Amino acid sequence: MPGEVDTDEYEDVWVFIEQHESEAAKVSWELLQKGRELADEKGERLVALVMGEDVSHLAEEAIERGADEVLVVEDPIFEPYLPGPYGEQFSELVEERKPDIVLIGGSHTGRDFAGRVAVPTYAGLTADCTELEIEADTHLLLAKRPTFGGDAMATIKCVEHRPQMATVRPGVFDAAEPDPDREGTTTEVEAAVGEENVHSRVLERVVGDITDITDAEVIVAGGFGTEGEFGPIEELADLLGGEVAATREAVEEGWIEAARQVGQTGKTVKPDLYVAAGISGAIQHLEGMNDSQTIVAINDDPNAPIFDDADYGIVGDLFEVLPALTDAIRDEQEGTA
Amino acid sequence: MTERPNFDDYFDAIVVGAGLAGSAAALTMAQQDLEVLLIERGNYPGAKNVFGGTMYTPRIRELTGEGFEDAPVERHLGTKRFGLLSTEDETAMSIKPGQWQESPHNDTYTVLRGNFDEWFADQAIEAGATLITETTVTDLVREGESIVGVETDRPDGTIHAPMVVLAEGGNSLVSEAADLKETDPPEKVAIGVKEVRKYDRETIEERFGLGEDDGAAYHYFGEGACGGGVGGGFIYTNKRTLAIGVAYTISDAIEDDRKPDELLSDFKEHPAVAPLVKGGRVVEYSAKSIPEGGASSVPELAHDGAVIIGDAASLLLNNGIHLEGTNMAVESGYLAGNAIVEAIHAGRTDAAALQSYPEELESSYVMENLQNYDWFSDFAHDEKQFLFQQLPKALTEAELEFFKQDYEPKETHAKRAKNMLLRAAGGWTGAAKKAWKYRKLLS
Amino acid sequence: MSREWNIVVCVKQVPDADDVSIDPDTGTLNRSDAEAVLNKPDYNAVETALRLKEAVGGTVTAVTMGPPFAKAVLEAAVGLGADDGILLTDRAFGGSDTWPTSLALAASAEELDGDVVICGEESTDSSTGQVPPGIAAHNDWSQLTYVEELEPRPENDELVATRDIEGGHEEVAASLPVVVAVGFGMNEPRVAGLHRKIFSETEFEPEEYSASDLGIEESVGLAASPTSVGGMDTADPVEREREMVDSVDELVDKLQSEGAI
Ligand SMILES: Cc1cc2nc3c(=O)[nH]c(=O)nc-3n(C[C@H](O)[C@H](O)[C@H](O)COP(=O)(O)OP(=O)(O)OC[C@H]3O[C@@H](n4cnc5c(N)ncnc54)[C@H](O)[C@@H]3O)c2cc1C
Ligand SMILES: Cc1cc2nc3c(=O)[nH]c(=O)nc-3n(C[C@H](O)[C@H](O)[C@H](O)COP(=O)(O)OP(=O)(O)OC[C@H]3O[C@@H](n4cnc5c(N)ncnc54)[C@H](O)[C@@H]3O)c2cc1C
Ligand SMILES: Nc1ncnc2c1ncn2[C@@H]1O[C@H](COP(=O)(O)O)[C@@H](O)[C@H]1O
Repeated sequence: MPGEVDTDEYEDVWVFIEQHESEAAKVSWELLQKGRELADEKGERLVALVMGEDVSHLAEEAIERGADEVLVVEDPIFEPYLPGPYGEQFSELVEERKPDIVLIGGSHTGRDFAGRVAVPTYAGLTADCTELEIEADTHLLLAKRPTFGGDAMATIKCVEHRPQMATVRPGVFDAAEPDPDREGTTTEVEAAVGEENVHSRVLERVVGDITDITDAEVIVAGGFGTEGEFGPIEELADLLGGEVAATREAVEEGWIEAARQVGQTGKTVKPDLYVAAGISGAIQHLEGMNDSQTIVAINDDPNAPIFDDADYGIVGDLFEVLPALTDAIRDEQEGTA
Repeated sequence: MTERPNFDDYFDAIVVGAGLAGSAAALTMAQQDLEVLLIERGNYPGAKNVFGGTMYTPRIRELTGEGFEDAPVERHLGTKRFGLLSTEDETAMSIKPGQWQESPHNDTYTVLRGNFDEWFADQAIEAGATLITETTVTDLVREGESIVGVETDRPDGTIHAPMVVLAEGGNSLVSEAADLKETDPPEKVAIGVKEVRKYDRETIEERFGLGEDDGAAYHYFGEGACGGGVGGGFIYTNKRTLAIGVAYTISDAIEDDRKPDELLSDFKEHPAVAPLVKGGRVVEYSAKSIPEGGASSVPELAHDGAVIIGDAASLLLNNGIHLEGTNMAVESGYLAGNAIVEAIHAGRTDAAALQSYPEELESSYVMENLQNYDWFSDFAHDEKQFLFQQLPKALTEAELEFFKQDYEPKETHAKRAKNMLLRAAGGWTGAAKKAWKYRKLLS
Repeated sequence: MSREWNIVVCVKQVPDADDVSIDPDTGTLNRSDAEAVLNKPDYNAVETALRLKEAVGGTVTAVTMGPPFAKAVLEAAVGLGADDGILLTDRAFGGSDTWPTSLALAASAEELDGDVVICGEESTDSSTGQVPPGIAAHNDWSQLTYVEELEPRPENDELVATRDIEGGHEEVAASLPVVVAVGFGMNEPRVAGLHRKIFSETEFEPEEYSASDLGIEESVGLAASPTSVGGMDTADPVEREREMVDSVDELVDKLQSEGAI
């Protein structure tokens, strides 16, 4: 078992570029933007790690979006993602190149990967951070995350072990914009993984829903109270040019696709207007939308906790209130037009 | 360990409901080495139990001994106030006896049932009882006439035991379904609606003139408290919350065109009440039925293999001045528990062997009180116009007259005020009749 | 080769979110006196374990690492149908983060000769989801996280899972021994039978393992944990108007004056 390490030997900020079928997950670009800030503050380099089968174009994009160096490991064994080979390769790279900080998306793939690799590297791993900072005097990573119940923020540090790792949910940070003029180096790395590292095989894979609600300026969200009828939600969202979102409960029921789930285990959103209809206001949901500018809650239960976290609340049946609201807004818009 | 365990006839007694009555019975029996299974439908005892309120604790203190020091009480009751409300005015009387401020504080405390009931059930568990939560008893199991167990809503959910104690509270579905009890008519049932609001501690202490540990119970009657109905409003002070509610008979609730929650919000807006409850934040809202049929509604208490205790047995006193049920629930649980211990030791569970429970209860303050006030419910309904509407109004008018500042001498005002009251009461003969009728209220 | 499986299910005790009280003195939420209950996602784990056992035969053993009162969650698991329960309790475990926690669970899975370890998606108190992959990594076993469906293939010593992944799902076959983290809500957990529940709360006693029983006393606890809590701030609660409006028109007015629409 690895013991203590010489922390001085470790430097640079790494970002794991999560990709599926050669397409990068947007959270990776969000991490590049945050990673750039952290690297600049430490005066170190930002390194992107790209693994997969046909991914060299992602290396270029990573440089455009802020990486100083991109490590590219191309091999069929890395397509699609499997924890065994990915984990083994990553451990090799860490041992060889000693990164100080590693940022990974808090997606299912990212968390599956992070949890696996933190053990052999003996890394300090903090899940679902919402703020990342560098401590002024020590240059340690301060990984902040809401704790149980959400009314406290814990700061997690990793003092004696390296790398310092953190996962961040999609939508917490803004994505880094590409700058075609940026320069950086691409380093091809030989795959160091064999069949002995493969414990599982993918039999079938169906992906395709790439809905992104994290940039929406208006979100109308429905919960269990919709009983599966999202019509009124969609109408209001359409009128306001916004996106439809949902609670986990609604996703579980199969009423709406998982990509539209807001919350602790879904997306983090911060639109100007968030309308929550038929949503009770569980803490796990609030965590994903509490930074919205204005929150409107519609619920037929006056005791629903959501009202405590809303700017404006209406007690009533969403099937009456939402259409009335849609009509009223439409009237206003036509009146002023 | 994969075999199906079977606990049929493992327990001496099954108690239905871990409210105050149920836990008192379980504790009493467990202390005397019976095996007791306490079944509660809530997540934990007290999870959803609703009351005002103030808890009256002499028997609890005795049963729990030193443990009582850790009982989660909010404040001891130091102040009681009665206010008669017309739609706009209040006439009130407040009492704050020095003796109540000192231990044992007249054994009266404000509590939060969620905390208190859980603690009380814990005392029974520590004494050896087994508590199963999130389990609802759905029916009784009989063999011939005898009750020999219960059915629950869980898989593999029937369990047998020699004795069943029905302590399910006022909404006594199991007892009623098993024909151990009749359903109360609407004029014998009250509905209580209540909200708990949270404030700063200082706000509560300032508004009600309290110290750190003492509390107040404010009771209100009259049209301003709950419309034309028989009933009243209340405010109880906890440490950081106020319990604010109204309770009135279901038959009146049906007549009044306001819903119970609207009635509560009118009560909160009454000019005498509003300053006490303004601000804060609702942390709980609840509604619950209160049996108030009095002695005449108390069913047969002992059956072959079963007893009924607490609110399930209508052991509750609500006469306008007293709203007491907790003490009687505990007392009945205690007496029933002792009767069961005796019967089990004698190897019997038939109704005759359990008679010491109804007998002891009959000679205790519980039945004494209920019988004493039995007339009240009918009386209040007969007299409700006078009591809850005319009297508060007449009183205010008389007060206004009595204290009026103008160019007439005081004596003139006093005379007029007296006449006004007399007229409201139906002249001298009417007043004499009323005085005779009402004397019992204060006896 | 087909045989019965040793199924280990990891269950964690967490403070009951429904039972947080208001601290009478400070007015803040008080979780310390909240009752310890079984982590809700772990009900899905227990259900999965019981169904696996029903399909392939074998035993289900619930394991928890925690203070002595964590026994309550083993009771819950046994009440639901687990055959046995093991409590990993030892002062030495105190202060463990996910690294040593997953080590202890991995070591006990090894000790129990586990074929399949089932975990919940995440715990409602620390919500990292790191423990299940951590267990797999410590033992170098295969892992399946965010599982929505599970199909045992005992003839191949394999478990086939449908996993929820970004924008879709995938079907993965993993060889035993394997660690599975099931998606929260993936199944409808059963209700404990009455007699089984009574049994679990009256007669069942878990076996206890200490750190040295597992031979890991040097590698657990605060000192072996790479992360530490560097501080706790009260999150600045987002100031909300908390205004109840009575009509849709009033709402539209408010939103317009804020420029939200
Ligand atoms: C580990 C873990 C992670 C989780 N992650 C997430 C997450 O990322 N996102 C998430 O959302 N949840 C998450 N949850 C689940 C969360 O705890 C809640 O269960 C969920 O948010 C509740 O969804 P809901 O509000 O739609 O349903 P409910 O809580 O059932 O609420 C439905 C509401 O609709 C109201 N209603 C019903 N009918 C009407 C009507 N006609 N008109 C108006 N109102 C009506 C009801 O009064 C009620 O308040 C997670 C839970 C766990 C344990
Ligand atoms: C608004 C209001 C204000 C009051 N104010 C006061 C006051 O200030 N002072 C006072 O002394 N009294 C007051 N009372 C009366 C007092 O609350 C009751 O008399 C007392 O709670 C009765 O106790 P109990 O144990 O009989 O019933 P409960 O306290 O009602 O307990 C019954 C228990 O049984 C459980 N249960 C019910 N059915 C089943 C089932 N089928 N299976 C399993 N479990 C079941 C319930 O969940 C509950 O825990 C008030 C009542 C109300 C409604
Ligand atoms: N102390 C523990 N004891 C047993 N199982 C645990 C423990 N901590 C975590 N787990 C398991 O790991 C899952 C994920 O937890 P976490 O990584 O803490 O979010 C839980 O649902 C449990 O199945």
